[in-house]
Amino acid sequence: MNVADEIVPLVLDGRVVKLERSAVELLKAPPVKLTIDGKEVEIQGATLFKNPITGELKPKLTTILDAAQKAGVFIPVLCHREHMEPVAVCRFCAVDIGARTLVAACHRPVEDGMKVTTGATNEKVKKSVKILTELLLVDNEIPRIVNREYGDNELRTIAKNLGMDPHASRFPKSQVDRGTDDSSMIISVDHNACILCDRCVRACNEIRHNEVLGRMNKGFNARISFDLNDPMGQSSCVSCGECMASCPTGALTNKKLVDSNLKDQPGAMPVTIEDLFTHEIFQGISKPFMEWNQGAVVRRKFKQGEIICNEGQAGSTAFIIEDGTLEIFLKSPLKHIENKKSTGFLGLISKFTSSLSSNSRKDEKTARYISIDAPVSLDINNPIAELNKQDVIFGEMTCMNNYPRSATVRAKTDVTLLEIRMNVLYILQRNKKSKSILDNVYNLRSISTHLLSIPLFSDQFTDPKEFSKFVDLVRKNAKLVRLNPGDVIFRQGDREDNFYLVRVGFVKIFLSQPGGDHVLNYTGPGGIVGEIALMSHLAEMEGKAFAAGRTASATALDHVDLVSIHGEDFKLILESFPKIREKMVAIAIERLANIQSQTKKVQHTNLNDFLKQGLMEARSLLVLDLQKCTRCDECTKACADTHQGVTRLVREGLRFENYLVASSCRSCLDPYCMVGCPVDAIHRGKKREMTIENWCIGCGKCAQNCPYGNINMQPFETNEKIDDVLNPGFKVAVVQQKATMCDLCESIDGQPSCVYACPHDAAHRMTGPELIKKVESYLA
Amino acid sequence: MIVQALREIQERCGYLPHKEMKALSTRTGVPMHRVHEVASFYPMYRLEPPKGASIRICRDMACHIHGAPEITKGLENLSNELGPNKLEVCGISCLGQCDATVAVLINDHHVYRGMDLNSLSALARKAAANEDLPHQHCDNSPLPFKINPYQNSEPYDAVRQFVAGGMDCNALFKKLEVAVLRGMGGAGFPTFRKWSAVKGAVGKTKYIICNADESEPGTFKDREILRRSPNLVIEGMVLAALVTGAEQGYLYIRHEYPDEVKVIKEALITAAGLGIIGKNVLGTGQKFMLELYISPGGYVQGEESALLEAIEDRRGEPRNKPPFPVFEGLFGKPTVINNVETLAWAAGIALNGGEWYRDMGIRGATGMRIVSISGDVQKPGVYEVPFGQTVKELIFDTAGGLLQGHKLKAIATSGPSGGFLPALVPIDKLPPKFVQDKIPAGTKLFDILDLQLDLNTVSQMGGMLGAAFIVYDDRRDMVDNALNCVSFYRNESCGKCVPCRTGSQKLVDIITGLMAGKSNRTELSLINDLGETMGITSICGLGQVASNPITSVIKFFPTDVENYLKQS
Repeated sequence: MNVADEIVPLVLDGRVVKLERSAVELLKAPPVKLTIDGKEVEIQGATLFKNPITGELKPKLTTILDAAQKAGVFIPVLCHREHMEPVAVCRFCAVDIGARTLVAACHRPVEDGMKVTTGATNEKVKKSVKILTELLLVDNEIPRIVNREYGDNELRTIAKNLGMDPHASRFPKSQVDRGTDDSSMIISVDHNACILCDRCVRACNEIRHNEVLGRMNKGFNARISFDLNDPMGQSSCVSCGECMASCPTGALTNKKLVDSNLKDQPGAMPVTIEDLFTHEIFQGISKPFMEWNQGAVVRRKFKQGEIICNEGQAGSTAFIIEDGTLEIFLKSPLKHIENKKSTGFLGLISKFTSSLSSNSRKDEKTARYISIDAPVSLDINNPIAELNKQDVIFGEMTCMNNYPRSATVRAKTDVTLLEIRMNVLYILQRNKKSKSILDNVYNLRSISTHLLSIPLFSDQFTDPKEFSKFVDLVRKNAKLVRLNPGDVIFRQGDREDNFYLVRVGFVKIFLSQPGGDHVLNYTGPGGIVGEIALMSHLAEMEGKAFAAGRTASATALDHVDLVSIHGEDFKLILESFPKIREKMVAIAIERLANIQSQTKKVQHTNLNDFLKQGLMEARSLLVLDLQKCTRCDECTKACADTHQGVTRLVREGLRFENYLVASSCRSCLDPYCMVGCPVDAIHRGKKREMTIENWCIGCGKCAQNCPYGNINMQPFETNEKIDDVLNPGFKVAVVQQKATMCDLCESIDGQPSCVYACPHDAAHRMTGPELIKKVESYLA
Repeated sequence: MIVQALREIQERCGYLPHKEMKALSTRTGVPMHRVHEVASFYPMYRLEPPKGASIRICRDMACHIHGAPEITKGLENLSNELGPNKLEVCGISCLGQCDATVAVLINDHHVYRGMDLNSLSALARKAAANEDLPHQHCDNSPLPFKINPYQNSEPYDAVRQFVAGGMDCNALFKKLEVAVLRGMGGAGFPTFRKWSAVKGAVGKTKYIICNADESEPGTFKDREILRRSPNLVIEGMVLAALVTGAEQGYLYIRHEYPDEVKVIKEALITAAGLGIIGKNVLGTGQKFMLELYISPGGYVQGEESALLEAIEDRRGEPRNKPPFPVFEGLFGKPTVINNVETLAWAAGIALNGGEWYRDMGIRGATGMRIVSISGDVQKPGVYEVPFGQTVKELIFDTAGGLLQGHKLKAIATSGPSGGFLPALVPIDKLPPKFVQDKIPAGTKLFDILDLQLDLNTVSQMGGMLGAAFIVYDDRRDMVDNALNCVSFYRNESCGKCVPCRTGSQKLVDIITGLMAGKSNRTELSLINDLGETMGITSICGLGQVASNPITSVIKFFPTDVENYLKQS
């Protein structure tokens, strides 16, 4: 072995550390003597330095700056930080040691007998440092957006200390706008405020070992960049906040979330940073970041039996479980809305007193588990589960995407929770340490219930042993992937790589076509994405797939968590579980046929007005021919009759010449109503009709989403009774609601009942393009 | 590996697509930001697809005064005529062809020199039409200079004799010491000290590097040595390896020297065939693997520690020193870095002895050297001259004198880095010691033609002595040429330290303002202050000398400066 590289143990402060021999020799050498501005200093030539975050020990040569600090001599420093490797790029710490040029005190090791002079006694040094300060001041813009936080502007502080005007410089100002980057949710980048001190770069790579930040270009065009000069928000940045905490000029600032202060809300208890750092999940995050975001974490205590949140309620926070046990469940009965048949006088009343039916419907999902916004899924036969400290967190989807709460949570014992805002959750999901904790929760605890909530998988297993084998196979190979809104999962034509399960958020599946994207589907929690391209090798699929690679594109519609399974592992799953393979093939063939038929239809249409009205999207309009219609209202009555007395149809709407498009579900090509259902209870059936599952919790998200107002929230009385405030002593039933919409019901001749019921042949169901033809031929 | 892998991607795709860089990062495990740092730093790489054929015209010094701006304009007109995405016209830093102005680089691989706008336009049309480009002939015959001791004998005798003599390192050091051989790259460090320091350094792994990244404007002498007598350079490196025990060497050459690259590749194959390099050098049992390393570009790579950074796959930014490369060089190991010419002379000295070299100097100076002369002279080119020669002998005897009907206005004695010296220097602007020692009493103006060109004399005068002499006659505007040189430094600054990164840009801005008639004397003193700060605070030589062209013009050419001040 090389003598210089030999590793030897050394006892330091009672600890044994192993270092290279040359380093040990340095550490053992006698102290050196030097003078700084005439003051004598005696100091050890090297010390052992500990990385404050990783704890790594390294010998460090004592620099002139170290000696000056010991001697109490002030030397201005900008690019250097005690815990970083010196790079000596700002040259503010220039001192004179009698050499041809000045040297950087932060970098130059001390030598015995050195005579150092600083700006305090040396005019040449003082003048140079002032010039350097002016050079940076002239182009250093103060961050322009006010709602951002950062520490002091160290450049200006140094200017003040040197007795200079921190806003004046004799140099001409650069005309170049270096740009800004606001793509990250929590950190804002203003390149105009950046002085390229390299502190953020070292913070990211040397201190945190995240390896995201670098410098790009050269000379005056140099600037910091993320990965391959990607926008920060789309880079591999884990949002640890260390770069921002290291920035001396506010080029990297903390974006304040509007209303991020939870502290002022009732029942909220403040949490100190020290307290937070006792939780493993917070330990990877930079301290200044947590200080800047103190209002975004509060502690809440709940007594046994208290409700933490109600299903359907709006929210914007997630909860970390500190202590105690919680029950998470669905209050809403797992039934459909049903009214008694409207008969005579009483029938009129019963129209307004809806009840519930357990009758199952055609095309209903046969889910055994309901996917909710927590590390568990709920058994449909007994929708209640427990959460405790090991589950770590719940409410992520509400927090990231502002979806309504998906379930009701009640304290089973006394509990303590930390309530966090989106910016904190965002960081926890990206920071290496906390991410691994969150991923572990999924991998160890929730993966099996997640897979159970996907009927495609759960239905194929009757033997629980087989199922657990399947879960193990997925668990071994699954990787959690987090995406920001707009992130591309894959593009049409790309080579296939992975298969994905959607855990949180919604994925948009679309075909890119002339005239814009054509949305095939929104896949929400519990959905699968990317199976078709990975199955083209199967014999059953031969001749079915029509192009190599991905058949459609997929992007994240909001903050999406995916479980990614490598293509080869997916193929292994198909081989090992023939039933899944069979089902997958069926799904793929159906999806391919659907894509083909849709591609054809879209290619044949061209009317602009139609597009504007959104009618081109429509798959099934109820069109009334006004020349034939006598306004007898039989269609509305038929709808009510078919749907337990509640009509889902209003005989009003847009008119095109002689045709009225009645207000009922249009089964749009882009079914936006599906997006955001917190319990995944709204689906598209075989005829493209929308169906609302019986576990609808009545939050109203889909009704809000439908641009045509065609989803109605139907109230019903529950068994629960509460005191009537208007009539003391009496109780009234608690009213809940569920969504209803046109389900393209079938009547005797296979048509929806509204069409069947029309005695004048005025009601028709048709697609958007068919309506165009009608209108056009009428005009002709 | 990254530097070369990126080159391979660019050869294949024409530029560096995002997808390819991402794949490279995944494949090698090198973080994406590190790949991009390198890709965006070196001028050789393109991050965007090229817009048609590329033609780049040298912007610097001799080419600048000999019509580069006009040729650039003419080719831009041609590009407009050809339409979009046919021909990309832009400037490039010195291509090392200053003896045959104007130099251009077409499609990154073809260097042309000494052509007028018409013939260049014809070439550009060919390139835009994707036709094959002709190769311009260059002289590959062995150098007829003293530096080449093998005029009538087989090369590599120096190494053979050294091995046959039992590899007596101390004897070789003695020869180098007697010869007073100093580094020819500019710093002038005694060669035997560098070699013996590395020999004595702790550790087994050591490196020998030949710095053939000749990129300083006006400097093109290594080009001739590399192309015409590459064996001398290889031999010098092998000698250095044998004395220091280094087993790996790199010959680091700029990529704009395609003819030289080709010759060296062949010479390395020949040397390996002769057993001069390889796993067992001439049966000594010592290994020396010598690799040609083609630079991804940039003048600052010529700074030795920046060169090391490039080989280590990083941005070529100079390191803070100490530690010096002889102790902590490539990959932190002791490293000899020598200039092409230094290594070539070392071979001759090993063969012919120290006195042979030392006694070639004249007027009390020692040694011989190869220089490049360009600008307004009759015979620009590469010459072998003794140390101690005067400027007069250099310009009039060696380079054939000035052009008919013109007088000497200025000379740069070290490319742009030493600034400009006027034909007549007022003695009050010279260091008193120099005036006292070298100038006859009573003289008011020192004739620069009398300046003796050796390291001691020139540095005593407060100047710098390099290998690049650029001569300017009375037609030249020195403020314009100062802007030209300062712009070169601005373009080539790596951007690492504040004084150089921002200072060079501010100098360009201030001089541009001055030439636009916007400045008064306050700006001149600001230039001087900034120049002083850059000179003493920049990390490397580039920033330290970047202000010399303009501060020397303010000092020695007040009339040229006044012309611009008057307009304000």
